This record gives sequence, structure tokens and C-alpha cells, in this order.
Amino acid sequence: MSYEEGLFYLVAVVTGLGGLGVVLARNVVYAALFLIVALLGVAGLFLLLSAEFLALVQVLIYGAAVTILMLFVIMLTRVRDVPTTPVAPQQSLGLAVAASLFGLLATAILITDWGALGATEEMTLVPVRELGKVLFQRWSVPFEVASLVLLVALVGAIVLARPEEEE
Amino acid sequence: MVGMEHAWVLPALPFGAFVVLLLVGRYLPRRGDFLAVGAMVAAAVLFSLMLADLVQALGEEGFQGVTSGIDWLKFDTFRVRLGFFFDNLTAVMLAVVTYVGSLIFIYSMGYMQGDPRYGWFFAAMSLFAASMMTLVLADNLLLLYGAWEAVGFCSYLLIGFWHERRSAAEAAKKAFITTRIGDVGFLIGIVLLWREAGTFDLREIFQLASEGGYSSEYLTLAVLMLFAGAVGKSAQFPLHVWLPDAMEGPTPVSALIHAATMVVAGVYMVARTMPLFEAADPVALQVVTALGLATVMLSATVALVVKDVKRVIAYSTINSLGLMMVALGSRSVTAAMFYLFVHGFFKALLFLAAGNVLHATDRGAVDELGGLRAKMPLTALAFGVGTLAMAGLFPFSGFWAKDEILVAAREDQGVAVNVVLWVSVALTALYMARLYILTFLGRPRDPHAYEHAHEASLVMLAPVLLLALGAVVTGFWAFDQVGEALALPGGVGKFIYLHEPHSFEMPVAEAAGSSALVVASLLLAGFIWSGEARPAQLMAQRLRPLYQLLWNKYYMDDLYQWIVNRIVLATGAMVAWFDRVVVNDTGVDGSAGLTALWGWIMRQVQTGKMPNYALAIAGGAVVIGAVVLVARM
Amino acid sequence: MIPIQHFLLLGALLFSLGVYGVLSRRNVVLILMAVELMLQGVNINLVAFAVYLSPQEFRGLIFALFVITVAAAEVGLALAIALRLFRNRATANVDEVDTLRW
Repeated sequence: MSYEEGLFYLVAVVTGLGGLGVVLARNVVYAALFLIVALLGVAGLFLLLSAEFLALVQVLIYGAAVTILMLFVIMLTRVRDVPTTPVAPQQSLGLAVAASLFGLLATAILITDWGALGATEEMTLVPVRELGKVLFQRWSVPFEVASLVLLVALVGAIVLARPEEEE
Repeated sequence: MVGMEHAWVLPALPFGAFVVLLLVGRYLPRRGDFLAVGAMVAAAVLFSLMLADLVQALGEEGFQGVTSGIDWLKFDTFRVRLGFFFDNLTAVMLAVVTYVGSLIFIYSMGYMQGDPRYGWFFAAMSLFAASMMTLVLADNLLLLYGAWEAVGFCSYLLIGFWHERRSAAEAAKKAFITTRIGDVGFLIGIVLLWREAGTFDLREIFQLASEGGYSSEYLTLAVLMLFAGAVGKSAQFPLHVWLPDAMEGPTPVSALIHAATMVVAGVYMVARTMPLFEAADPVALQVVTALGLATVMLSATVALVVKDVKRVIAYSTINSLGLMMVALGSRSVTAAMFYLFVHGFFKALLFLAAGNVLHATDRGAVDELGGLRAKMPLTALAFGVGTLAMAGLFPFSGFWAKDEILVAAREDQGVAVNVVLWVSVALTALYMARLYILTFLGRPRDPHAYEHAHEASLVMLAPVLLLALGAVVTGFWAFDQVGEALALPGGVGKFIYLHEPHSFEMPVAEAAGSSALVVASLLLAGFIWSGEARPAQLMAQRLRPLYQLLWNKYYMDDLYQWIVNRIVLATGAMVAWFDRVVVNDTGVDGSAGLTALWGWIMRQVQTGKMPNYALAIAGGAVVIGAVVLVARM
Repeated sequence: MIPIQHFLLLGALLFSLGVYGVLSRRNVVLILMAVELMLQGVNINLVAFAVYLSPQEFRGLIFALFVITVAAAEVGLALAIALRLFRNRATANVDEVDTLRW
């Protein structure tokens, strides 16, 4: 096992545990904290994949903004006794579905001959400069649209979440 | 010139009267009764002209009757034809229908006066007259059957004329249903005959039968089925039960339909199809005779205890019909038709005279009558003539006709049949005399009724007296000399016959024997029922069981009611149960319920809970993914 | 070097965990967190494909970027709805929001 693989397993375990924590934790706040772990773990994976820019974006947006948002909403919608255990048979069925989904994906992944598709063991570095160039030239329209989406979401969120006006 | 080929005019006249009366009758003066009466009288006159034409044609060689008519429906092999046939047999029937019918129509103007549905009465009677004439003139079985049903329908309408009365409505229903049973057999017989012949035409069917186109069993069956219709329509045992109840209708109806014309349609039909009866197995005619005899005995015995005047006459009609059937069973169309002819006159006479009594006293049962001879002498006289004609006393018409039947029976039947007939002769004289004595002689039993009794008005009296005259003279048609004097080829035997015309010979044995029997019976009746009727009361007490049996008409009505209740209605209940439970509850409601249930089951998917929907989506995605994966492997 | 399957399997694992979370959690916010988890798995896949299979183009990376962007927008909106729901129904339990049933 090369040290890259070892590193991978480390990060992977952290991420996996974080994910498990999100779906299994009884306390909502704990679940949110586990989510932060998972998100940061994914950022680490991005680094391993030598997509540094993405890792950065991941940390900034997810690790910071999204989690803070979630924590605020948790605070605002706190109810004393929220059952976090689902009602059977939903839980067992959910488990079955998720497990079979994973089995399906795993099978597909393991069967495919990645070598034939051109996957080498080589990982090439992703230059940020090139990425930026492509983003603003080739993908400029989607970029603008994405900013519009954000605007709309912002406005919509404000409208939805503002308190009722007293006439 | 009016000839036999114009025979279609005869039913057209009263039918036209019916249509006019139906549509605009209420706006006409006197509700248009003159139209109905006029149509009948005109038909009688025109018939007389056609009769003259017939007589002339009889002089020529090989006269087979005159046909006329039009095709109504014609497919490849199927033909419905409005065909009319005029021959000797037709003439006898039409004579009764038109002559007696006209007199009854005139009588009705007096009898039905003041009735709120006066106009409808004449409309229905006209429709009946038209249907009856069509029946008699029909040259094919299909038209005959159609007219047969039509007269049955008119009978229903007229029996139930006063339908506010429950008993009248029930009687009309009973008549229609009972005759319907016979009519089913009649239709089966017609279809059987048509199947082999490919046509409904009578002449062609006779032709086929004489050539042996029908096998013996087949023809016998067909003929017995035809006879079933006659059993219903002509009130033979066991379908006789409707005729006494039919007296609920107005008296002119009883006279015309249930005495002179409709009920004899069965006799006419058998007479008309005699070639078929003869070609069939002898058992067919034996059945005819047997049922005729049963009818004769049943009616003659029951008539001895019946209290209602019209019902006694009704039973006497059943008696006469049985006699006519026995005559036909003895292969004597002459005797049967002769009796039919004179019967039309004296039976109508009896009914109309009874109608006078009813009209004057407003009473119908002998319990409340008596001694009316003083108050209504002419009616009493006419009724007496009718009584003696029915009893068969010399020289009234019934004597000649009844003796012809006795002769025919002697020549063709065994001892048993003859004995029964002679017993019936005695019984007939007995019960007819009883009726006369209890109604017109002795002391009045209901003073109130007696007070009101009066002689009938002219319009009601004249037809009665004319019919009485007929009851006296029509019998003499037996003689060849009388026939020739009327420009006919001879007496009745030379006019109506099955194979050979025959002259009349005075049957000394029958004449003497029956006369003696009749006189003796009349005297016996006088002994039993005159005055206080002591002997009658004693007999009723001593022979209680027998009296009860007769009073309940041999329990036949009770038997039929039991059958209806236990069998017919029970079957109906079963069918109703099936319809209600299986068809409706299970089939209709069930399938609807099933659909609703399935809908409820399917509805459970819509829980409104997001997690459930998410599960479904995820599950579906997994399934699709699995399928794709497997397909690619 | 790390074979591509490793990353892919991890992505699949995260995705499946996220699915389980969506199906079994009752709190709205927890469900949203599970959705985020699913998106992470997707992103890993995309980047892995971009890096291993077509390094000349950056499609996978761009895609992943946009995924993050849209996910952020979506989270904002979803949480606003959750707030609104809580205000109207005084509950954050999705099992209790079932008025759209038959």
C-alpha cells in the first residue's frame, strides 16, 4: 500500500464516519456537527484528487455558510421532543433500499473496465489558471445563470422566511 | 255489384267506426253510437248480397270459395298476407256475426244508455266485430291468429268495461291469461304446420297434408296444439274457468262475445281445419271428444246450483260448446255448425232477456228474483222460448240441432259417449227449467226488486223478440225444402258438410227419445223448484257433500289459485331472489364495490407523507438501475 | 496511485448513506443534511471522472462547481421553507405534514 492509498483510507474513514453520524445521531445538533466533519472530509478528498480550487470552495461554502445556516434553523425550529427514530416499516425499508442501491452502484463500479475507458493511475494536476479561463470563457453563460439562480434563491428565501406583516 | 271478392269490406266497416269513435267520438251527437250500429247493419246488408252471390256461384261446377286480399310483407320465402276467403262455412259464421251482432248493437243503445263511457263501449264493440269478421274470413293461419288475439283483447277490454269494480278487473285478467295459455299451444301448432309447408295459407297446408307431406306423429302433434287454442277460447275443460267470471261485463258483451261469436271461434277453427284433423291420427279427434264430454258434464252439473242468472246462462254456453266439440269429434261438421248457427240466436236471446231483467230490477241472483212473469210478460215469453230452445224441445231450433249431434254421435262414437250425451240432455232441460222457474215464476223473493220491475223499452224489447223468432224458425233449416225455398242448395246438410252433402232424414229414435227425456226433465224441474222449492232444499241438505262439490265448481278455481300461489309465484320469488341477490347485489353492486375497494386499496399510497413518497422514488430508481445493470451484463 | 474505483466506491457509499438518511429521518433539517451528503457523493464522482478520464477538459470540475453553487441556493430556500413550515404547523416533523393525503 502506497502512502497515497493510506492517506486516502484515512480521509475516507473520517468522511464515512461523519456521514454515519449524520444519519444516525439522535441529537440534531450532533448530526449537524457530524455533517461538518463529513464536508471537511470531502474537501480533503478533493485535495487528494488534486482539485485544490474545488477543495477551497467546498470548505468556504459548505463548511462555513451552509452549516451555519443549518444550525440557525435548527435553533429556530427547536421542538422539545422530536422523534428521530422513524416509524417502522419505513426504517427497515429505507435501509433495504439504501443497501440495495449501494450494492447496485458497487457492482456497476467493480464490473466496469476502467482501463478501457482511458483511466490511468496517473492523476494530473488541475491548474487553477486554466480552470478560471475555461469557466469564464467557455462556460460563461452557465456561470451567469448560476448567479441568477443564487439571486432568485436569495429573494425567495427572504420572502418565505420573513415574518407575517401586521396590517 | 257487391260480390264475395269484396269480403274485405265487411270487417272494414266496423273498423272504420272504431277509428272514428276513438278519435272524435266524444264530439259527435249521441257519442256516435249510430256510426257503430250503422256499420253493423250495413255489414249485415252487404253480407246478404254476398250470400246471394255465393248461392249463385254454388250452382256452378267445382266451386271452392273465393279468395281476395293483398300481401303485407314479403321476404324471400316468408309471406304475410291479408287474405280473405269466402265459402259456405264462412257464410254461416258471418250470418251469425252480422245478423245477431246488429240486433245486439241496437239493444245496447237502450241497455248502456246513461253510462259515462257510452262512446267507448261502442268503439270497443266495433273493434271486436271487425276482428271477429277478420278471423272468420282469414285464409291463412297467421291472419287468423292475429284476429284471434285481437278478439281476445277486445274481450278483455269489454269484460273489464266497468273496471272500477275490482271483480270486473280480475275477471278480465283471468279471461285473458287463461285463453293465453291455450293461445301458446295454438301458435306452436301454427309454427309446426308452417315449418313443413313453408306457408301459412290454409289451402296449401291442406294440400300438403293430403299428399302426406307431414308425418303422422308430427301432424297429430300440430293438430293437438291447434286444438289447445280452441280449448282456451271455447272454454273447454280445463280452461273453462274464465267464462263464468266473464259475466262481470255488460250483458250485451256477454251476449255477443261470450255466447254467439267469440267463444265459438274455437269451434269454427276446428271445423275449418277438419281436413288436418282427419289426416292425423284418430287420437286427435278422440281428445277433442273426450274434452268436449268432460266440458259438457262439468257445466251441466254445476249449473244446477248456480244462483246468478247470467252465470247459469254462461254454464249453459259452456255446455253447448262442449256439445259442439263432441260433434266435431264425431266428424260431423254439419251438426256442429248447425248447432253453432241456432245457438247464436237462442243464446243471445237468453242473455238479452236476462239483461232486461237486470236492467229493470237491478238484481242478478235468483235469490232475489221470482214471479217476474207478471211484471215483464214479453220478456218472460221470450226467455221461455230461449229456455225451451236450449233444452231442445220440439219444435224449437235447439231440438233439431241437438238431435243432429246425437245422430252423429250414434254413428261415430261408442256407447259411453252416447250415454253421457243423453244424460247431458236431461241435465240441460233440468237446469234451464230451474232458471226459468226461479226467475219468472213463483213468488217474488225481494219485494223491493219486484216493485221496480217493468217491461223493457222498445229498443231493448224488439231485438229480444226478433231473436226469439229466430230461435223458433232457424231450426227448420234442417229441411231441404226450407233451404231450397231460400234459394240455397238445400237444408243445412247440403250447405255445410265435410265430404258429402246429405239430406235430412228425421231421426225417429233420437227425436222420440230426446223429446221424452226433455219433457220428463222439465216436469221434474217443476216438481223440484216451483213454489217453495222444498224438494230442492231437502236435496241440498241430504246430499251436502255433493252440493258443496258443485257449489265450488269442482274446486277447479281453487286448484288454479293454488298453482298460481305455490308454483307460479314461488318461481317468481326465486327468480326475483336471483335477480336481487345474484344480479344486483353481487353483479352490479358487487363489481362496483370491488372497484371501490380497489380504489381504497390504491388510495393508501397517497399518505401525504413525504418520506413515503421518497421511499417510493428511491425504490423505483433502484429497480430501474438493477434492470439496466442486468441487461448490460 | 489510487485506483479510480476507490473514489467511486466512496462516492457511492456517501450517496447511499444520504439516501438512507432521507428515508429514515423525521426532522426536516436532518433530511436536508442527508441531501447534502448525497450531493457530496455526487461531487466526488464527478471530480474523480474529470481527473481520471478526461484531464484535458475540466468538465467534471466545472460541473461539480455548479453543483455546489446550486446546492447552496437550494439549501437556503429549503431552510426558508422549513422555517415557514415550523411557523405554520409548530412542528418540524415531516410525518405530521400529511394534509395532502386522500
